[in-house]
Amino acid sequence: MIELHGIEKEYTRGSEKVHALTGVDLSIESGEFIAIVGPSGSGKTTMLHILGCLDQPSRGVMKIDGIEVENLPESKLVQIRREKIGFVFQQFYLIPGLTVFDNVTLPLLFSRKEIDKGKINSLLELVGLASRQGHNPNQLSGGEMQRVAIARAMVNDPEVIFADEPTGNLDSENSEKIFDLLKSLHARGLTIVMVTHNNDLAGRAERIISLKDGKILNQ
Amino acid sequence: MDFMKLALNNLLRHKVRSILTLVGIATSVAVLFSIISFNRGFERGLTEEINKTGLHFMVVPAGCPHEVASLVLHGAVTPKFISTTILDEIKGITDIEFASPMLITQLPNKDKDRLDLVHGLEMAHVTAIKTTWKLDGVVPTTIDGVILGSEIAAHDGGKVGDKVRYGEREFTISGIVKQTGSQDDAFVYMPLEALQEIVEKTDGLTAIGVKVSRPERLEDITGELSMKVPGIQIVTMNEVMRSLGSLANSAKVLSLSLAVIAMLISAVGVMNSILMAVFERTQEIGMMRAIGASRFDIFRIIIKETVLLTSVAGMVGILLSTVAAGIIEGFVRSVMPYVPSGKMIHFDPWLAVLCVVFSLVVGVLSGGYPAWKASKINPIEAIKG
Repeated sequence: MIELHGIEKEYTRGSEKVHALTGVDLSIESGEFIAIVGPSGSGKTTMLHILGCLDQPSRGVMKIDGIEVENLPESKLVQIRREKIGFVFQQFYLIPGLTVFDNVTLPLLFSRKEIDKGKINSLLELVGLASRQGHNPNQLSGGEMQRVAIARAMVNDPEVIFADEPTGNLDSENSEKIFDLLKSLHARGLTIVMVTHNNDLAGRAERIISLKDGKILNQ
Repeated sequence: MDFMKLALNNLLRHKVRSILTLVGIATSVAVLFSIISFNRGFERGLTEEINKTGLHFMVVPAGCPHEVASLVLHGAVTPKFISTTILDEIKGITDIEFASPMLITQLPNKDKDRLDLVHGLEMAHVTAIKTTWKLDGVVPTTIDGVILGSEIAAHDGGKVGDKVRYGEREFTISGIVKQTGSQDDAFVYMPLEALQEIVEKTDGLTAIGVKVSRPERLEDITGELSMKVPGIQIVTMNEVMRSLGSLANSAKVLSLSLAVIAMLISAVGVMNSILMAVFERTQEIGMMRAIGASRFDIFRIIIKETVLLTSVAGMVGILLSTVAAGIIEGFVRSVMPYVPSGKMIHFDPWLAVLCVVFSLVVGVLSGGYPAWKASKINPIEAIKG
């Protein structure tokens, strides 16, 4: 489904050149549950952003469903993000003032798709928030906000969900719930790629990719 | 969920800031709308008023044309006088329908301990030269009757039949002019002869208003009069209109410039406010880009916010100026040397639409930069915070 060959990523911080990824080769099959682990600055988030078509590698080849994406124009990358990818962030990034329902439908607005109320209700049921759809984010707990963010990531029927530290801002109980939710999505056939610092959760993924200094140690 | 709802939500998240920005732009639109409305009303009122004077030209002592114009329409105290003998010379010219002498001066009102503006005129000519007046009471037929302007009557609580005293003479109020909204409201109108006696100027006149029976001969008549009588100035109503019109036009250009500057300042305010909102929402914009928003989508959201804000502000501005038309008109009247009687600010729907469209254009222009800036936000940097 996703292939990385010799991916390198460099950027400059002040006068210093930083090698965030150096020669990464990776293959992600459809339906996998992958945890990417590694110390801070090892290149986990950079890799997730490249995988999610938010960033372009400096060198190397990346293919999604056989299409080379590293030289695609911005408009094509936007299309891939709309059709194939769902994102979940550590900080949830729900829009204040919009209801749970509206927050979940946001990707549909950008994809120019009609809102299917029945589908949104089923998604909210799936994440256990059907009764809270009229609430605003400030009326929700951290765990609930992350569940809304997961529903939002699901609304465009993506092939893969990239979750960047999805439990990073949650207590252990809520972390478990979010992880279980991701597991249940995986059980429905979805590919999950999760960056985490939580070794316990990472250990329960199907596959662990360890990164250090921009290189994959094992996968 | 649509882009408009998203834009509205973003504005409502910072209510105070949005309201302050809205007030700025609404005030500018209100000023703009009021100035243009007032100017249109002024031009219309001026034409109507001059047409209604029933006079074709005024004979006054040589002097400033603006003073003359003011004198012609609503009376003004001037230090120069012309002789009553001129009246006979005017009447001697062919095709003169009537010549109405007038003396305008200030008289001490000892009972009220103030100076009153008094307009002396031939009472027989009142209906011919004050065609817009509506009277409570009647035009006096005797030398000891006066007419009060509505303002002075209201101030003193004067009623028809009451007495007023100027110098050693006592007058009876025969009529009170209903409010005209012009300077007429502040005058006392007295038979010319009586006023001349009080001020001991039996030979003195401030002006003579003339109506001709054949207006097509106006040029010949005024030419003949100028030749016959030296030291006078003849001002036709067209000249008065031109003179006042150019005065009003200068005022319009100045006030329109100020309104446009105010609008520009408001536009910078809008730009600043939206730019601040964009910076505050950097992470959120990064998230939207990640979940499928294109650069154009982001641009669209921000530009919609600005257009929404400025077009609502435009409508509020129109509403504001319509509601406050009386106050605005009162203010302009107090600063303008001459304003025709009647209501100046009329609600013109097309002008209102034009002003709202203008504020909308200002919105697009001032929102363009913040929207472009937002669309250029790098989602990676934004999400990293």
